[in-house]
Amino acid sequence: MGSSSKKRKEKQKDFQAQKPKLKVGKAKPKPDNFTDTSFQSKSITLNQQSLRLSAPSSNTQFTHHLSLLTSKSDTQRRESLSHLTTAITSRPVDSPIPQPVSVILPNLLPLILDASTSVRTQLLKLLRALPARDIEDHVSQMMPYIRAGMTHLAVDIRVSAVEVLAWLVEVAGDEVVSCAGGWIKTLNCFLSVLGWHTEESAKWSANRASFGKAGNQGKAMIKVLGAFGGFLDAGLSDVDRDVDVDEGVDVSSEGGESWAFPLCQTEQHMIPSASVPYAYLNLFGQPRDEEGEMYETREDRYRVFANRFMPAVQRGLENARQEGGEIGRASSGASKALKEAVASV
Amino acid sequence: MVKRKLGALEKVEADLPNLQHKVRRDPKSYVEDFRAQHYQYESHREIFMAAPTAATDTGVISLRELIDFISHVADCYPDITKDFPQQLIDMLTQHHLVLEPELREKIVGSLVLLRKKDIMDSATLLQTLFPILISTPSKTLRALLFQKILMDLRTSNSKTTNHKLNKTMQTVLFNLVTSDRTSSKGVWAVKLTRELWKRQIWTDAKTVEVMKETCLSEHEKVVTGGVRFFLGGDKEREEIEDESSDEETVDVGRVKHQVGINKKTKKKSRAIEKAKHNVKRKERKKNQPHPLNFSALHLLHDPQGFAETLFQKHLQNTKSNLKLEQKLQVLQLVTRLVGLHQLHIMPLYSYFQKYLTPRQPSVTSFLASLAQASHELVPPDVLEPLIQKIANEFVSEASASEVATAGLNAIREVCVRQPLAMNETLLQDLVMYRKSKDKGVVMASRGLLSLYRDVGADMLKRRDRGKEASMNLRSGDRKERRFGEQEIGAIEGLELLEKYKDEERRRKNIEKGLPSDAEDDGGENEEENWANWNVDDDEDSDDSGGWINVQDDDDINLSDSDDENEKKDGPPNKKPKQDENDAEKERIDTEKKMLNLATTRILTPADLAKLQELRTEAAINAQLPTKRGQNNNPASRHADDPLTAAEIEGLNALSAGKLTREEKIAHAKEGKTDRSEFKSSTAKRQERKVSEGKSTTNKEKARRKNFMMTLGKAKSKNKRSLVETRNVLKAHQDRQKRGGRRGNIGI
Repeated sequence: MGSSSKKRKEKQKDFQAQKPKLKVGKAKPKPDNFTDTSFQSKSITLNQQSLRLSAPSSNTQFTHHLSLLTSKSDTQRRESLSHLTTAITSRPVDSPIPQPVSVILPNLLPLILDASTSVRTQLLKLLRALPARDIEDHVSQMMPYIRAGMTHLAVDIRVSAVEVLAWLVEVAGDEVVSCAGGWIKTLNCFLSVLGWHTEESAKWSANRASFGKAGNQGKAMIKVLGAFGGFLDAGLSDVDRDVDVDEGVDVSSEGGESWAFPLCQTEQHMIPSASVPYAYLNLFGQPRDEEGEMYETREDRYRVFANRFMPAVQRGLENARQEGGEIGRASSGASKALKEAVASV
Repeated sequence: MVKRKLGALEKVEADLPNLQHKVRRDPKSYVEDFRAQHYQYESHREIFMAAPTAATDTGVISLRELIDFISHVADCYPDITKDFPQQLIDMLTQHHLVLEPELREKIVGSLVLLRKKDIMDSATLLQTLFPILISTPSKTLRALLFQKILMDLRTSNSKTTNHKLNKTMQTVLFNLVTSDRTSSKGVWAVKLTRELWKRQIWTDAKTVEVMKETCLSEHEKVVTGGVRFFLGGDKEREEIEDESSDEETVDVGRVKHQVGINKKTKKKSRAIEKAKHNVKRKERKKNQPHPLNFSALHLLHDPQGFAETLFQKHLQNTKSNLKLEQKLQVLQLVTRLVGLHQLHIMPLYSYFQKYLTPRQPSVTSFLASLAQASHELVPPDVLEPLIQKIANEFVSEASASEVATAGLNAIREVCVRQPLAMNETLLQDLVMYRKSKDKGVVMASRGLLSLYRDVGADMLKRRDRGKEASMNLRSGDRKERRFGEQEIGAIEGLELLEKYKDEERRRKNIEKGLPSDAEDDGGENEEENWANWNVDDDEDSDDSGGWINVQDDDDINLSDSDDENEKKDGPPNKKPKQDENDAEKERIDTEKKMLNLATTRILTPADLAKLQELRTEAAINAQLPTKRGQNNNPASRHADDPLTAAEIEGLNALSAGKLTREEKIAHAKEGKTDRSEFKSSTAKRQERKVSEGKSTTNKEKARRKNFMMTLGKAKSKNKRSLVETRNVLKAHQDRQKRGGRRGNIGI
């Protein structure tokens, strides 16, 4: 009885739904899909549309695409990045970029950790398009993102972060190694990417970079080694530095010459050319520990390096050389930089 | 390069939970991966700390996940993560206002997790969480923090009492309350202390001191919290203890048996283990000595000072902004303290003067408080005007019966505590109310009468005194208690023990064949006593185990009136003189004996156990309705129990007007459950039919037909001719044969 009565009830319901009762003297009930058409209007306004006579200026487009960088869809981010790249590269020479780098960069930096490979490659292109001189001031801002990328779980992100770092070292090597936390922390990240931290993990037979999807492992290693070489070179070799110092000396001496006779070392008393000249005082930031400290001179950096990283790096490089092949070749750059540094001390 | 073998893990997409699982299983092999993730966390933290407010969604999410991951495996790499707790603490304390809620909760949770893993200690955790608890504006965070703090305190006190931690926490709470008396932050002290008191984690005087300070706060919420604690905290504690003691009892044998039958699984074996553990714990608990938990009111230092300041600050002070309800609570606390510790606050009684009118809202509470505030050492001349005022305002023929009842009850309650406060004329006047028409008033007035038969029979009129009292009066046996007179202290129930011993000795003597009264040689008895110095388990347990001898309740005769009873008892009372003398002698004897037992012997633990048993027996016997006057005396109330307004209102319900019919029906139906499942099947079918919207049968229609409509047919039946009647009968017979109107055709 139970199920049948239930069915009957349902049937009854259906029946009622199909056929509304008509009653004498009452208006016919309205169907469910009844549309009220009794209203009248002279005009209809659709307020969601924005129509303009003039196309948006390239500047507004630029800003718009900048805001689209946080979009959810991969393609949208990639498209916006490529738009920004073309906008920067195709601008007339000597004209400034539509927005200053300080505005663009905060939007770009989280994309270093983006999950999509195409977005990251496009990002690198855009970064390369940015004027090098403007980048220098923002290195300390970029470094945490790059370091986060270098230790990311996904191998692809690690590799692209290393690529970004390589570019940054090329563009502003001095700032990279001397910014706060730029030396020790970045070296740590390198060692962890290469797997050179401990004795066991540095062996060639060890299960290196063991966790996670192995992308194209060999190539990634080569890239990392190349970037490592560049980084060491920037941090330790005294070639550039010497030139710089020499230049400095020259400049000061030249300055001494350029200024009238009684003025000497006037350069020191002029407005500094760097953007944050007293950053090393760390007046407004969090208190720094040893790792986060700034190491501004080559001697400082070498001292720290010799204390903490020398054995691990030497061991790692030796292993890499012994492995031979492309990796061995790639390691030669880093070995060279290291040898020069040791020789110069 | 040689093609490397790919591990199973490398083929799958890597994520943090996966890595966490791997790390937990083999920390040493995954140290590099962990290090990488730690660097990642460091960088994210750096990014976040540079601009906590401007953090992006993805950044926050990854930071949260990393924090979760690291806190879960932090115990595997203590050297790498040694700064981790401090970093979390910094992040939370500096930015808890701007942190994204989920991240904030994650940080709190991770800190607690680290505490559980013993990476940080309780004190640090509490020092971090507590300041945030009292300062954050977010409700959810407060709830979370409160819960976590409480949990941490409970767990750190679970095995042994962590005195150091408790002390620091109590000091923090004390300082919180005392540093700024006007702030509402003391509420947290109240909440925390109350919760811990309830769970018997904090039971010492320092806790009570904290609550005392909250009572003296200037913020009303804090004050009421503190006062409520003193008034109800102990009851709460008892309740929760009762709850926990009658937890579900697991039958180990049964569980074992089931395992024998059913499939053996890990889960089942764990269930057995758990059951065994439970039983073991219960056993251990049984053997433990009962924890001595003093009530909060007893643990107060300087109750006099406390009560005085409370009274001056919240009640006497015209500027205090407490509402009437809150004031009443404070008053309850003050009077409770006065009654319990026998304090002297003289202005308190004159304070009552103003509120003792029937028009005062919740006057019964005031009356109850007044009764609480009176005790033996209050000068009678302070209480007398109050009693006079109650009598004038409440008890008169003109006032409503509820009012009169409340007044009489209040007077009785005051006089129970200080009998000297009553004067003779007023008492005689009040006792007259037992002839009233209203039941509530009658009962209240009788209560007063029976009280004064006990404590001051000479103030009553001769015929009101009753037999016992007048006999005692005549013999000069009952002496009036003077003001401030104290009773001689004694061990409660000692006379019972003495009696028991006496009986035992007699029994033994009879067994030995000696006359029952003969004194046995003391030495043997002594020896025996020393032998069972301890409570013997094997021998004594069956005696003292579960059974308590309860008096046969043979003479239960409840009569309503005293006078009746007196009359009944009157005639056999022929030789009062001799009775008197006997009674006198006996009394003196028992007194001597009692002193004798207490002064000549050392009570062994076995004796004390027996004493306890006898006491409970006596208490249960007292509960039984044996003779009238025994069971309804208010002396069975413990001195610590508070007096409530309900007790003052007394039998008010009796004097209320009659209920209407609807009210009676509702009252009768109140406790009854739904009985629809027990309906007859016909009734059920009927109901179903109606609900399905089906039509009724002709029979049902005929049954339901209006009576007036059937009358016409019945009348016409009488007028039928013989032929018509015959036809009808024939047709009926025919129908019967056929089997109904439609005939029994077919099957």
